[in-house]
Amino acid sequence: MEAIGRETELLFQLLRATSLRAQVIAGNVANQNTPGYTRRTVHFEEKLREALLAGRGGELGVEPEIALDKATPARPDGNNVTLEVELNAMRENRLLYEAYTTILGGHYELLRSSIKDGN
Amino acid sequence: MSGIEKLFSGMRASSTGLAAERVRMDVIAENIANAQTTRTPEGGPYRRKIVRFEPLLLEAAGRPFETLGVRPSAVEADRLTPFGILHEPGHPDADARGFVRYPNVNTVMEMTDLITAMRAYEANLAVQQGFFQMAERALQLAR
Repeated sequence: MEAIGRETELLFQLLRATSLRAQVIAGNVANQNTPGYTRRTVHFEEKLREALLAGRGGELGVEPEIALDKATPARPDGNNVTLEVELNAMRENRLLYEAYTTILGGHYELLRSSIKDGN
Repeated sequence: MSGIEKLFSGMRASSTGLAAERVRMDVIAENIANAQTTRTPEGGPYRRKIVRFEPLLLEAAGRPFETLGVRPSAVEADRLTPFGILHEPGHPDADARGFVRYPNVNTVMEMTDLITAMRAYEANLAVQQGFFQMAERALQLAR
């Protein structure tokens, strides 16, 4: 039971991070014509990997973080949102979300069948 | 919680983008419609209008980079682009020397702006569609 609990908790975290990222991408797309706007990104997976490599269950405390992307060059109006980049990020993020929900669904399916078998 | 509330605030962010681009399209339409208006209640020819966009930030809540979308903060008159001046002595709005001042609207420029606004509108719509699909997936878990 504990193995399932810990893994679902991780999946919840990943879902939270991808949901936040979707919101951030939507904000970038909405601001594609706002002069001086700097696009935002969400850092989570790399922080999670570090925590997982460090061990001791610290990964459960990892929180997604919104950061300004200052590396992408800006247009003359000071805005650095590229529509293609955002739409691609949105697609990629959605696929990740679907993958996590599918895995989570599998966990619930497992739980359901084990409850049934117990009867 | 798996962050479904973030999906909803993302949907709302896309809506603000749609609304803002619509305001921009309305202003562009007004500019084009008034491209030949030589007399206005304020006096002088029509001045081209520009929409200013501002991000909706969550700074107050201690989350400085979190955006809730965009808002058209102001519609301002373009005071930098000069009026077009034509010599038309017979025009009712001609001055003593026969010159008529025409609005500072460049229809070609307005049309390109309109295309960007339309593309931006479509992009916001596409992102919003993505949220519906994600929410759909989340709901499937409960089935």
